[in-house]
Amino acid sequence: MKQFTRLAAAAVVASLGASAAFAEGLYAPNLSYRTGPFAATGIPLMNGQADYMSMLNARDGGIGGAIIDFEECETGYSTEKGVECYEKTKGKAIVTQPWSTGITLQVLPKTNVDEIPILAPGYGFSPMADGKVFQWAFNTPSGYWDAADMILQYIEGQGSLDGKKIAFLHLDHPYGKEPLPLLEAMAEQKGFELVPIPVGLKEMQNQSAQWLQIRRERPDYVVMWGWGAMNAGAITEAVKTKFPMENMLGVWWAGHDADLKIVGEDGKGYKSISWSFPNPDAPVMADIKKHVVDAGNTQSNEEEMSGVFYSRGIIISAILAEGITAAQAEFGTPQITASQLRWGLENINMTEERIAELGLDGMVPPFATSCSNHTGHSGGWMLEWDGAKFVKVSDHLSPNVDNYAELIASSAGEYADANAPWPVNEDCEG
Amino acid sequence: MLYRTAGQFKTSYTADQALFPIRQDAYLLGIILIFAWVVFPLTASEFTFQTLLIPILIYSLAAMGLNILTGYAGQLSLGTAAFMGVGAYACYKMVTIMPWMNPVVAILLSGVFSAGVGVAFGIPSLRIKGFYLAIATLAAQFFLVWLFEKWAWLYNYNASGAIQVPNLQMFGVYIAGPQADSMVQYFVVLGIVTLLTVLCINLTRGNLGRTWKATRDMDIAAELIGINLMKSKLTAFMVSSYIVGVAGALFVFMWRGAAEPNLFDIPLSFRILFIAIIGGLGSILGNYLGAILIVGLPVVLNTLPQALGIPVSSAMVEHLNIMIIGSLIIFFLIIEPHGLARLWALIREKLIIWPFPY
Repeated sequence: MKQFTRLAAAAVVASLGASAAFAEGLYAPNLSYRTGPFAATGIPLMNGQADYMSMLNARDGGIGGAIIDFEECETGYSTEKGVECYEKTKGKAIVTQPWSTGITLQVLPKTNVDEIPILAPGYGFSPMADGKVFQWAFNTPSGYWDAADMILQYIEGQGSLDGKKIAFLHLDHPYGKEPLPLLEAMAEQKGFELVPIPVGLKEMQNQSAQWLQIRRERPDYVVMWGWGAMNAGAITEAVKTKFPMENMLGVWWAGHDADLKIVGEDGKGYKSISWSFPNPDAPVMADIKKHVVDAGNTQSNEEEMSGVFYSRGIIISAILAEGITAAQAEFGTPQITASQLRWGLENINMTEERIAELGLDGMVPPFATSCSNHTGHSGGWMLEWDGAKFVKVSDHLSPNVDNYAELIASSAGEYADANAPWPVNEDCEG
Repeated sequence: MLYRTAGQFKTSYTADQALFPIRQDAYLLGIILIFAWVVFPLTASEFTFQTLLIPILIYSLAAMGLNILTGYAGQLSLGTAAFMGVGAYACYKMVTIMPWMNPVVAILLSGVFSAGVGVAFGIPSLRIKGFYLAIATLAAQFFLVWLFEKWAWLYNYNASGAIQVPNLQMFGVYIAGPQADSMVQYFVVLGIVTLLTVLCINLTRGNLGRTWKATRDMDIAAELIGINLMKSKLTAFMVSSYIVGVAGALFVFMWRGAAEPNLFDIPLSFRILFIAIIGGLGSILGNYLGAILIVGLPVVLNTLPQALGIPVSSAMVEHLNIMIIGSLIIFFLIIEPHGLARLWALIREKLIIWPFPY
């Protein structure tokens, strides 16, 4: 019956997409957003990702002999389009890269049924770190709770948090609310006062009300969880209200060069935690220049390529490539399947040596994933805007995961309960 | 030729008042129903279910709800998405508080909540009209979305502020949540949409529909011939919000699987208003045509270049898509300002008198 259905469907399906135009190789689609309200931040990330993969294809003939078909499916950051792309690509894809919290939220429960790994580097649901519960989801190399913890660590390095007041300026959206449980727990533990200040999606570009509140509250620090137009809005408001920039710290998505170029010198001192860093002298950049840029296959430009977001795109593709390599070595075939890639992503070991071997010197901290740890908790660096570009101002910071391991486990458990029946990977130890 | 009416005599009043005075209309509908109930489920892929069939049906239903209010009763509303949200959140609360509840019953009941909210926000319509009323419904839009964000009880104190559809069973088959099969969901949606469409067709042809139309065309005249305006307007708000609420529950439970408050913001209201306007205000068929144009066509256009083997980047396809859909909307509105349903009515009329137009 099913066979017959398929046959009968062929004509209809062929015209409705799912077409069979895929090249031999590994199909790793990317749900990109080069259009829509967040395009300005999306384009450098997408370019970095695509360029790294084209470089591998041109230099090494793909990964382990298999060409990577790194096709983009445009979502414009819209959840509806994202689900459309997911449905369109999931038939042949070995991985899905949803790229927005909304799409991740939507796709996450489906991956268990469709059995496709979902790679959400540095975004998505923090409890995804629990690999036992979230078998198919990966937010390598660091999650939002790691980010919040590292930011607090950095602030603590400048003096005790006790009695301090920290304003938490965040997008009023699942993404912005993500670190709240951790920050609340830490506020209790370390004795600082947390003032959450939400910014509605409609107020992103006009935050005068929020900054009025910040002026009234007189916080010692402002921690920002912003995205898209909100970052530029907040940074210009901060400059306008003369908030001391060195006391304003953002998550990694709030560290986009273009947002700070608007204020230039006035933004000096603004900080952003990051697990990636642009190193123009890294061998990988030379390879990209040689194999992709000089061959005219890039959509990027010189200025963008020196930025934080482009290099983050490279790292994201490098993580995926490492997962593929690990899976190929384990299963002894270049043509890996989605579930084999899951094994690969669970067994990434990015040591210092491996990072140097890949030519990513200084662009990502070392980390390792395991069956029960899907994040890797790489830690990161505090970056500071020096008026023209971001520079590292801290040594490698690593999050105190033990401090909130319980929170991860309980949140993951809650998610599994709410979505019962939710299969849990019992084979994982630890 | 296709629509030859020769030989179809009406011998009784009942026959003259039938839903399909012309036999061919009934045949056509029969063919469409066979496609919807038999052919599509047998042939469609998962992709077709998830991106074309299910969303088109749900959007049509939402537009139909709006059309009752705006097209039939003449009360302009910009709060459709918020009423959909009420339905979705009501359904979510019901299935989480009472997990034993039959999901289809929950979906149908959730419309009751949005009907209540709709009537409450419809009260200003007794005193204000036209654009002023639109602004009042806009207030509902802002207020309700704000409420979805701030009232944590609505989303069970979930840290992310979003609602996730749990796995729901009916007679041992999963019909909602990630475990549910697309075909099952399609049949549930199709069943509910068919049921409500039949209801709407009959309502709008009956006594209630006539009072709505009278209210729309001239409310003072309607009042003079003895129509109770309050009753007419508030029933329109009630029926409309009920349907919109059910559409909202279907939207989240049968299709999206998760929702955050800003999903129910103005862009969705406008999208549904566009469907209703382009499809044709004051018609049932128009909602389907509008949804096919606004929801279905972009998806098909998106897959065309790849199916034809034209190498275009997907960002470019997206840009082209927006331009093509935009110009199509303008084109259709220029050739027929009353929408696609009117366009079809004209074609049908021409077919009936063909080949001897007078």
